[in-house]
Order: sequence, then C-alpha cells, then structure tokens
Amino acid sequence: MTGAAIAASGLGKDFGPIRALDRLDLEVGAGEFFGFLGPNGAGKTTTLHLLATLLTPTRGRAWVAGHDIARASLEVRRNLGLVFQETTLDRDLTIEENLRFAARLWDLPRRRAEPRIDHLLGQWELGGRRRDPVRTLSGGMRRRVDIARGILHEPRVLFLDEPTAGLDPRARRALWDMIRALRQASRLTVFLTTHYVEEAEPCDRVAVLDQGRLVALGSPDELKRAAGVASLEDVFLARTGHALAAASAA
Amino acid sequence: MRAIYGIVVREALRFLRQRGRLVSSLARPFVWLLFAGAGFGAVFAGRDTIAYRAYMAPGLLGMVVMFGALLAALSTVTDRDAGVLRMVLVAPVRRSTIALGKALGATLLGTVQAVAVAAILLPAVGLWPRPAALLLGFTSIVLSSLALGALGLLLAASIRSLENFAGVMNFAVFPMLFLSGALYPIGHLGRLFRALAYGNPLAYGVDLLKHALLAAWAGAGYGGELPVPLDIAALLGFAAVALAAAAPLLAREGGVTRTAFRERV
Repeated sequence: MTGAAIAASGLGKDFGPIRALDRLDLEVGAGEFFGFLGPNGAGKTTTLHLLATLLTPTRGRAWVAGHDIARASLEVRRNLGLVFQETTLDRDLTIEENLRFAARLWDLPRRRAEPRIDHLLGQWELGGRRRDPVRTLSGGMRRRVDIARGILHEPRVLFLDEPTAGLDPRARRALWDMIRALRQASRLTVFLTTHYVEEAEPCDRVAVLDQGRLVALGSPDELKRAAGVASLEDVFLARTGHALAAASAA
Repeated sequence: MRAIYGIVVREALRFLRQRGRLVSSLARPFVWLLFAGAGFGAVFAGRDTIAYRAYMAPGLLGMVVMFGALLAALSTVTDRDAGVLRMVLVAPVRRSTIALGKALGATLLGTVQAVAVAAILLPAVGLWPRPAALLLGFTSIVLSSLALGALGLLLAASIRSLENFAGVMNFAVFPMLFLSGALYPIGHLGRLFRALAYGNPLAYGVDLLKHALLAAWAGAGYGGELPVPLDIAALLGFAAVALAAAAPLLAREGGVTRTAFRERV
C-alpha cells in the first residue's frame, strides 16, 4: 500500500439485512487529524471497529499503517491505539495497575513501560492519583487515563470514538488541549468520530457519513464553501437532510 | 508470554481486592464440613473404617476449586460489562492467548484457595498425607482448577448477560457437586447417574484427590475409583476442548453489533 496511515477500498459491513457500512473508499495521511462525523447509526463506530480488527468486513479491504486488517490483524493492532466510547479501565485497579496491565498486553518490557507511564501521568497531572483505584476518579480523569492507555505503546494511529461524550465543558477542553499537545509532539495520526460538529473544526479533513455512506469529504473550509454555508453544522444539514444534534440525541 | 502474565496478575490483584470473595471462598468448605458432615456423618456412622469427615475432604477441596473457577469465570462476564474485555481484544494478542491467560488466572486462584483450605482442613479431619500423596493432591488441584477454569471461561464466553450467567451457575453447581463423588462414591450410583458423573470434570478432579488422600481406604471402596492416568487425561482433555471452544467465542465480543442499528431496520 501507499504511505497512508489508513486506507479503505470498498470497505463494507452488513449485519444481516442491515447495511451498516456500504462501500467506503478513504485515505488518511500520516500525521493527519481526521474527523468522522455522522448521527448515531451512521456507521462511524462500525468503521472504527472494522479498522481496529474487532469486526471482519463483509466486503472490501482496508489497511492501517500499511497492514491489511483482514490478513495481518495482530500487526494492525500493534500499530493502533483505540479509545472507546465507554471507558475500558478496570475500576477496581489503580491507575498504574491499569496502565501496567495494558503495557503487558502490548508486550512492552518493564524498562520501557515504567518511564513511559511516569511520563504520561506526569504530563497529564495524574501522577498524584496513580495509586488510587479508577473508580474514585472523575469522568475527565478517567478519560485521560483511557487516552494514556491508548497511546502507551506509541501507536502510529490513534482512534478516538466520541472521546468527549459525557464530559463537562472544562474536561472536554482539557482533553482537546491534551490531544493537540500529543499531535504536536509526534506525527500521530488521529482518527476522531464525533457528533459534536464544533469538535471537528480543528480537523485537517472531515468525512460525513450518513446511513452507511460517505456524503461529504474535505477540509472544514472546503466543505463549508462547497455547501455555501457558514458552519460544519450547516454542511451536515445540507448533506444529510437532517440536523446532527437532533440525530445524536437519540 | 507477557500478555498471559499481565492477565494473570490482574486476576490476582482483583481477587485480593475482593475481601468478601476471599473470606467466603475460604469459609465455605468448613461450613459444609460442619453441617453436611454432621448430617451425612450420622447416617454413615459405624459402617466402616473411615470417618465421614475425612471422606469428605477431597470433595471439599474439589468444591473450593469449583467455586474458585466459576467466580473467576464471573470476572470474564463482568469484564465484558465493564468494557475491559474490549480493551484486551484490541491488544495485539491472539484470542487463544487471552483464553489461556484467563484460564491460567483461574488456575492460580483455584490452586491458592484450595491449598490454603487444605492446610487447615486436612489436619482438622485427621489426614496426614505423605509427600508423594501431597504432590499428587497438588497436581490434582492444579489440573482441576485448569479444567474448571477453562470450562467456566467457555460458559462465560457463551452466555452474554450477568443475570443469565448467575442463573446457569446456580443451576450447574449442585449437580456438579453431587455428581462428583464429593459426598458419596460414584460407584454406588445407578448406571445413568454414573454416566452423568463421568461427563463431569469435577468428578475426575475429586477422584484424583481421593487417590492422593484416601489411598489407605481404597480397599474399602472409598479411595479413587478410576485409574490415575485416566483422571489426568480427562482433566487435560476438558481443559483443551473448553479453551479451544472459548477462544473464538471471545472474539465476537469486540465490535458493535446489529443492536446499534435498531433505528435503521
């Protein structure tokens, strides 16, 4: 494949009679900040789970960091970090126990894992809580640990599935600052799904998905210009015929 | 390898955090010894050369292993609810490795609990096995924990909700216990029940424990009833089949399912 961080060619997934994802053609460059927009049920998470090898495609192919998702799933998983919509931390373990558990799953030797954990916890002001059980943390802190867990193994591609869902505005802002800092520090490709349109504004490019089909693709400015509207929210409205906020309330 | 180690460490940490589970798993066999021992012992009294409480010891150790394994399996079900399983599934680890790690976690916990109980139980009922017998007993505990841990994992991987799992567990526990030779010799049962017992992995574990602990009463019919190699082979067989079956089932837990698309039907 090319040097693209993510590539999909005719990628699709059916659940019985339901076409969750029709035929997706997409290329995301290395280091790109890519936004994937769409209402619930549009197929965003399905796409993410296909790319993360948690689902097997019904048709088409895709590559992450150059590895075929169907034929080299372990290589794909080694190169990606995935932060799920809901936290995947063990609430009964402490922050550092959770991160050590992840480090072992990603086969990081202790001498590499421990400094990395220290670094991430220090950077994100979690160091003072590292021996506290995750269940005692606030939602915003948990999310930060989730993301620390997602990038612990220094993946080339980071998938964020609705990362700010359920966070208050302050925690949300802190999260975006964190992600910006991460992107500045490395050539990490970030693939973001969200239904908060304003969160997609800083993306390099945005794709709009509706009913399993790609209905728009381009930089936020291009999309607004093409649709002759002032905001991404309006782009969404124009492309899908329904408002994002209403659709996402379901 | 490191992934297996990580999974086992996590199971152990969780176990140590759950005080209630720790206490109940250690106390349960003694409650049985006290009450079931008193009742069945009275019926049993004077019939033979072995005290009923000593006869129960292998079965009670088997019971510790069984509850340990089923509770470890419960953690797989709660992992799914808590989302932890997803995180494990997106790690670069084979499904079979995850299944093995989980089963080895259950093996460690089952073994530690059974050994802790044995250290009090055996002297309490007057059993003082020799080193060779202890070694065989230990082997039996390890293999039973592995087989039941693997079976528990298979159960957890095929049953998707916590309530359902608890229900099935409750239903399975007592037949497994009664058809294990824990409370009476399997040889005394009718043909049908004997056949059922030999489909029960716990029966082989308890049988092996009887070989180890009750060898002195083998002549009177209270020792192990099956050949030792058969017990060992059966336990390993149950473990292998259950692990092989559980691994692909674990994989289907990862991604979104059709329920996410209700509005599109």
